[in-house]
Amino acid sequence: MRNRFKLIISFALLVSVFAVSCRKYDENANDPQAEWFSGGNQTFFDGTVTGFDHAFNGMTEAQISAHEVGDKAFDATFVTAPAPLNSGLGPLYNNVSCVSCHVNDGRGKPPLAGEAMKSMLLRVSIPGSNPHGGPNPIPGFGGQLQPRSIVGKLPEAEVQMSYTYINGNFPDGTPYQLRKPNFTLKSLEVSIPGDIMISPRVAPPVFGLGLLEAIPESAIMSREDINDADGDGISGKANRVWEVITESYKLGRFGWKAGQPSLIQQSAGAYNEDMGVTNFIFPIENSFGQTQYDGLNDDVELSDSLLKAVAFYMQTLGVPARRLVNDPMVTEGKRVFNLVGCGSCHVSTYTTALNMAFPPVSNQKIFPYTDLLLHDMGAELADFRPEFLADGYEWRTPALWGIGLTKKINGHEYFLHDGRARNLVEAILWHGGEAEASRQKFTQLNTSERQALLKFLESL
Amino acid sequence: MKKNLILAVSAIFVIQACKKEVPPSTSNTDVQAKVLGDLSTEIYLNSYATLETRTSKLLSDVQLFIANPDDTKLDVCKQDWKSSREVWENSEAWLFGPVSTESIDPRIDTWPVDFVRLDSILNSSNTLTASYINNLEESLKGFHPIEYMLFGLDGKKKASQFTDRQKEYLLALCQNLNTLTTELHTSWNTSGGDYTNEVTNAGKTVAYPTKLSAYEEIVNSMIGICDEVANGKIGEVFTNLDSMGEESPFAKNSMVDFTNNIKGVKNVYLGTFDNKDVYGLEDFVRSHNLSLDGRIKQKADLALAALAQVTDPFGKAIFTQPIQVQAAIDAINSLKDELETGLLPLVQLQVK
Repeated sequence: MRNRFKLIISFALLVSVFAVSCRKYDENANDPQAEWFSGGNQTFFDGTVTGFDHAFNGMTEAQISAHEVGDKAFDATFVTAPAPLNSGLGPLYNNVSCVSCHVNDGRGKPPLAGEAMKSMLLRVSIPGSNPHGGPNPIPGFGGQLQPRSIVGKLPEAEVQMSYTYINGNFPDGTPYQLRKPNFTLKSLEVSIPGDIMISPRVAPPVFGLGLLEAIPESAIMSREDINDADGDGISGKANRVWEVITESYKLGRFGWKAGQPSLIQQSAGAYNEDMGVTNFIFPIENSFGQTQYDGLNDDVELSDSLLKAVAFYMQTLGVPARRLVNDPMVTEGKRVFNLVGCGSCHVSTYTTALNMAFPPVSNQKIFPYTDLLLHDMGAELADFRPEFLADGYEWRTPALWGIGLTKKINGHEYFLHDGRARNLVEAILWHGGEAEASRQKFTQLNTSERQALLKFLESL
Repeated sequence: MKKNLILAVSAIFVIQACKKEVPPSTSNTDVQAKVLGDLSTEIYLNSYATLETRTSKLLSDVQLFIANPDDTKLDVCKQDWKSSREVWENSEAWLFGPVSTESIDPRIDTWPVDFVRLDSILNSSNTLTASYINNLEESLKGFHPIEYMLFGLDGKKKASQFTDRQKEYLLALCQNLNTLTTELHTSWNTSGGDYTNEVTNAGKTVAYPTKLSAYEEIVNSMIGICDEVANGKIGEVFTNLDSMGEESPFAKNSMVDFTNNIKGVKNVYLGTFDNKDVYGLEDFVRSHNLSLDGRIKQKADLALAALAQVTDPFGKAIFTQPIQVQAAIDAINSLKDELETGLLPLVQLQVK
C-alpha cells in the first residue's frame, strides 16, 4: 500500500514535470517590449559606429577567443605572395580584405564619380548553367569580374558605371528622381562574348547572420508559395543551391539571390573570388584556366582554422537594438508598413531553432524583417541572370534590421543590390513585380504617413 | 622652512591656475554640453589640424631632403614622420565619423606593406602622379610605406642609400598623406563637412539625435582603442610570438605608438591637448562619482607606466620582456574594464 502510494506520487510528479517542460513561451502574447530586441538575446544597445560589431552574449571563453581571431582575420589586409604576413592576394581580385568592402561590418556602396569600384562587384555569366545548376561562367573570365590585379597581371576589365535619371511625381505632386545604373566594361583582358549577363552586387552587412542561419528551414519553407496559392499576389520561393562540402543541394539563405547555403561557404567564396585567396572549400585560384593564372604552387593560401574563425566571427555578430520603439510616429509607421504590405515579404519575426550545441542562438525570437525567400521584383530591378532556382527577376528579401544605422555606421544611404537608391524612399520606389501593389500603395500615402513609415524604418 | 612653504603655496597656485574649474553654479546639463563642445573643437578638430600641419612639414622637409640629400635632413624627415605619427595615434582614441565612414583610416594606416608590389613600383617607370598614388592599394600608401622608405628595413637608412626612384616614390607618398590628412581635417572643419558641429550640437544633429548617442560614441571609441592595443596590436603579436605582425617595425616606433594611443584616451578623458586644458569627460564624471574619476585616472596612468616598462623595441620585447609585455596588456585591459563597466554605465544613466 505504501509502495503503491509512493508510485502514484512519483507518477504524479513525473506528469507535472512533463507538463511544465512542455509548456512553451507564448510568442503570440502581446509583448511590445520584445521589439526593442531585434536579435533576441543577441541584441546590443549601441547606436554608434561600433553598432554592428558586437560578439554574441553567452559564449564560452574559447568561443569568444575564436570570434576575436575571426575579427582580426576579417580585418587582415592581404598582400602579394611571397610575404610573411597575409600572403596570397590575387593574382586577380576585387579588394584586399573583408573589411574593405564590409566597412564596420556594414554595407558597401557604389563608386562615386571618379572613384574606382571598391565595395561592390559584378557577377557575370553566359546563358546555361554549371554542372550543379548554378550560373555558367564565362570562358576566360569566370563567374565574377575582378577589376584589379597584382603586378605583372592585368585586371580582367575596367568597370565604368553611369546613371540614367528618371523623374517622377507622387500623386500629391511631390517630385522625386530615381537613377538607374549602366555598366560598361572597358580594357578587357581577353575578348568577351556578346551575350553575357551582369549582376551587380554591393557588399551586404554581415551582422546577425548567425541568427538567420539558425532559423529552422521548416519555418522558412512554410512561407513558400511558389504559385501564389493564397492569391495574395506574393509568391515567395526558396532557392536550392549547391553545398560544396556535402556535395548536395541545400536551402540558399545568404547573398542577394540566396545563392549560398552557409556562412562558411559564403566566406570561402568571398576569399576566393573577391581576394584571390584560396581555401579548403575553394582551393583553385579564380583565374585558373585563364591566361592570368599565376601557376604558383602555393594553394591553399588561407588556413582552414582562419576560414572557420572568419565564418564563426560572422555567425556570432549580434544585432543592434531598435530605437524609439514607443515613439508614436514610429508606431504609426509600423501600422503603415503593414498596411502597405511591406510585411508580406519583410516578415518581422522568426524564432530560431532549439540548439543545445550552441545556446547563444537557441530559441531566440528575432526581428530580421525578411522571409529569406526569393521574390520577383520586376523588370526595372531585374539582373536577368539566374542563380540556381532564382530567375533573372528574383531577389532574396534583404533583412531590414539595423537599416536605420546605415548612415551613421557607413556614412551613406545607398540601398538595393547595386546601391542605386540614394535613400529609403528611392529604395521603396524601385520595388516592382510582386511588390508593385505595395509600391502603388506607398505612393498613395499622404506626407505624414510617408514620414511615419520612414521614421519606423529608421528605428530598425 | 618658510621658503619651502612659499614654494609649496605658489606651486598650489600654479597648479590651480593651470587647471580650469567647473564653476559651482554650472548645471549638469551645461557641463554635458560643454564637454561635447570642447572635445569636438579643442581635442578632435585641433588634433586633425595639427596632424595636417605635421604631415605638411613632413612633405616640405622631404622636398628639401630630395633637393639636396644629406643625413641631417633625412633625420629631420624621420622626426617629422614620428611627430605626425604621434598625433595620428592619439586620434585613434576617436575612430568615428569621417575617418571611419570615409575609410580614411585604412588609406593612412594599413599594415602590412605589400613589398612585392612596392618593389615593382620602384622598378617600373610608371609616373607617380597624385592620382596614381591615390588609386594604389591601401597596403602601398600611408604611414608604413613612408616609414619603410625613410628608415629602411633595419631602421638605419642613410641618405646615400636612396635611389632616385625611392625619392620620387617617397615624395609622392608624402603628398598623398598630406592630402588625406587635409581631407580628414576638412571633414571636421566648419568650412568642410563640419563633423565638429554634429558632435558639439548632439541632440539636434543627424549623426547624434541624442546627446547620449554622442557620449556613447566617444566612450565606445576609447574602449575600442584600449581593446585594440591590448588584445590586437600587442596581444595578437605577443600570443603568436610573431614579430611580423608588428606595426611600425622600421622606425622601431611601436611602443611609442601604443603609448600615444593610450595618451589619446587620456586626452579625451581629461580634455587636454597641446598644453590646453578644456572640458573633458572628467568634468562630467566628477560631478557624479569622484571615486570612479580617481580610478579611471589611476588606471590610465598605470597603463602608461606599464607600457614604459617595455624598454626593448616591441618586436624584440615579445621574446626578451614577456613579463613586462603581459603587464602592459593587463594594465590596458584594466583601464578598458573601468571604461566599460564604470564610465559607460554612468554615461547611460546620466546623459539623455
